[in-house]
Amino acid sequence: MSNKKLLLKTTNSFLIYAVIILLIAAPVFYYICQWLYIYETDEVLLFHKGAFVNESHSNYQASDIAAWNKYNHNVTIVPDMGVTKDSIVGEMIFEAIANEKEPFRILYAPVEINGKKYTYIEKRNLVEMEGMVISVAFMFLFIIIILLIGIIWISKKSAAKIWKPFYNTLSQIEEFEIDKNSPPQFIATDIDEFDRLNKSLERLIEKNTVIYKSQREFVENAAHELQTPLALFQTKIDTLQQLDLTREQSELVGSLNKDVSRLSRLNKNLLLLSKIDNEIYLEQEAIILNEYIDKNLDFFIEQAQAKNVKINTHFKNILRTKGNTALTEVLLNNLFLNAIRHNIKNGVIDIITENNSLKFVNTGQQTPLGAQSIFNRFSKVNPSSQGNGLGLAIIKKICEINKWEIRYSFNDNLHTFEVIF
Amino acid sequence: MKILIIEDEREIAQSIKDYFKTNGIQCETAENYDLALTKIDSYDYDCILLDLMLPDGDGFDILKELKAKNKTEGVIIISAKENLETRLEGFNLGADDYLTKPFHLAELLVRMQALIRRKNFKGSNSIIFNEIVVEIFSKTVAVNDIKLDLTKKELDLLLFLIGNENKVLSKSAIAEHLSGDMADMLDNHDFIYAHIKNLKKKLTHAGSGDYIKTVYGLGYKWENEQ
Repeated sequence: MSNKKLLLKTTNSFLIYAVIILLIAAPVFYYICQWLYIYETDEVLLFHKGAFVNESHSNYQASDIAAWNKYNHNVTIVPDMGVTKDSIVGEMIFEAIANEKEPFRILYAPVEINGKKYTYIEKRNLVEMEGMVISVAFMFLFIIIILLIGIIWISKKSAAKIWKPFYNTLSQIEEFEIDKNSPPQFIATDIDEFDRLNKSLERLIEKNTVIYKSQREFVENAAHELQTPLALFQTKIDTLQQLDLTREQSELVGSLNKDVSRLSRLNKNLLLLSKIDNEIYLEQEAIILNEYIDKNLDFFIEQAQAKNVKINTHFKNILRTKGNTALTEVLLNNLFLNAIRHNIKNGVIDIITENNSLKFVNTGQQTPLGAQSIFNRFSKVNPSSQGNGLGLAIIKKICEINKWEIRYSFNDNLHTFEVIF
Repeated sequence: MKILIIEDEREIAQSIKDYFKTNGIQCETAENYDLALTKIDSYDYDCILLDLMLPDGDGFDILKELKAKNKTEGVIIISAKENLETRLEGFNLGADDYLTKPFHLAELLVRMQALIRRKNFKGSNSIIFNEIVVEIFSKTVAVNDIKLDLTKKELDLLLFLIGNENKVLSKSAIAEHLSGDMADMLDNHDFIYAHIKNLKKKLTHAGSGDYIKTVYGLGYKWENEQ
């Protein structure tokens, strides 16, 4: 369903109503006018006849009647045509002056002159009526159209004015992001409904911001508080492993060691995420990404050796951008790590820099990842993997904060993560 | 050698104390600000390990006190706080090193040794272990006066091992030491195996004793041959 604008919708119904009214009213009006005119004409015809009878033309001789007929163009007295009562008919009669047939109303009435029966015929041209009715109809139409245009224009204007606070609220809400900007400032309105809308939105935003903040603080505090017990854990394991341990015990302590370092890594990543949320990393600098990639390349080549994964760089361009240096490094490291972690034995990682984008293309599982959820926190594709499910969330967060775009695609059994700067 | 551990978590302080004791390091502990100040006033230490969050005061104030009293002890901050501002403030107030919790005791030990070496620097700075001589500043290693060609990582590893003589070092401790800032990125510690192997080969090839012992399931240990 295509969405229409609110204002358009209200004026649309106005317009449709107006058109319907016009279509119905115009012919109805025309016919009513015509009927009225004919009615009036008929009245006049009967009145004339009445006057003729009253004016005691009853003593007219045949010669008088001939003279009457000679000088009266519209009224003729003819010998009885067998008409018994007054009857009026509409007829098209040829009019010599206009040289065409014109509509007439003709009255046939029985009259008695000198005791003899005659028929009184009077005709009236309706041509004037046609013109009048049409001009009246046009005037009527003109007035109605002016009226409608006026109504639509005024309603549009006033609607725009009335809905202004609504549109203001709408645009502010559209721009609002709970983790970024300050709460919207709605303009004051004297319309009760909008005022209620604004107030409830304000309340909603305020409440959610508080919840969001406390959630964020909770994550940060929790991660912080965990550092100390983790330190206790670590130092005790370090102490424990100095004891004379049996093979079995050594193995247990060894795996504990792995667990605690995984735990502390997870915790550090959580801390990092909440720090990014709290916008600690606002400083922006010019960055040459190729240099950053080269800087840690050796480290990751070494990390990739365990799986015998080959890392190739294809620097087509010097990729320059602006961003926070510390976060950019974290972003690149996570891209590297992600490509190594989810790679297969003897796999390949290609790092490609283009005009304004950086691509990490790697071999891995044979099916594409769910593009929707992979950037969510703790969404792990492979539950047994060593990752903590935060790497891609961190990547996405860093892209968001620097206003970069991250894209994932899967082609020819290759996973591609592309950052567009 | 005598150090002071200012740390409100007694158990962490105790672990450090136990770990360092066998290396001939005498540790005193102070679990609060007041006690720490009293001890600093009364004794001279080779090094101070300082936790920033104390129940009755701020670790930074202790740094200020040290400065005010012209004390020259080296200070390593051990803190759960991990952000650039805290780090920079610590260094500005005269701390020599900064270690974020959680940490490996082995890491703390070598950092402290390095700090004390820097503090006590008198002309030459070398570590001698039987026939092995490591010159810290020129970054050279010699076995029976024959120079070894070690990579930076291998040298790092050697210093870490010798510094933690007779201690079992977990793979994660070694891996994290070798990766420095990148340690948080690691999810696999197997890469150290290659470094250990190479170092071992280079040392024995030059005629050194085989001091690197593999500890089953755990890691490695630098041990003087009996």
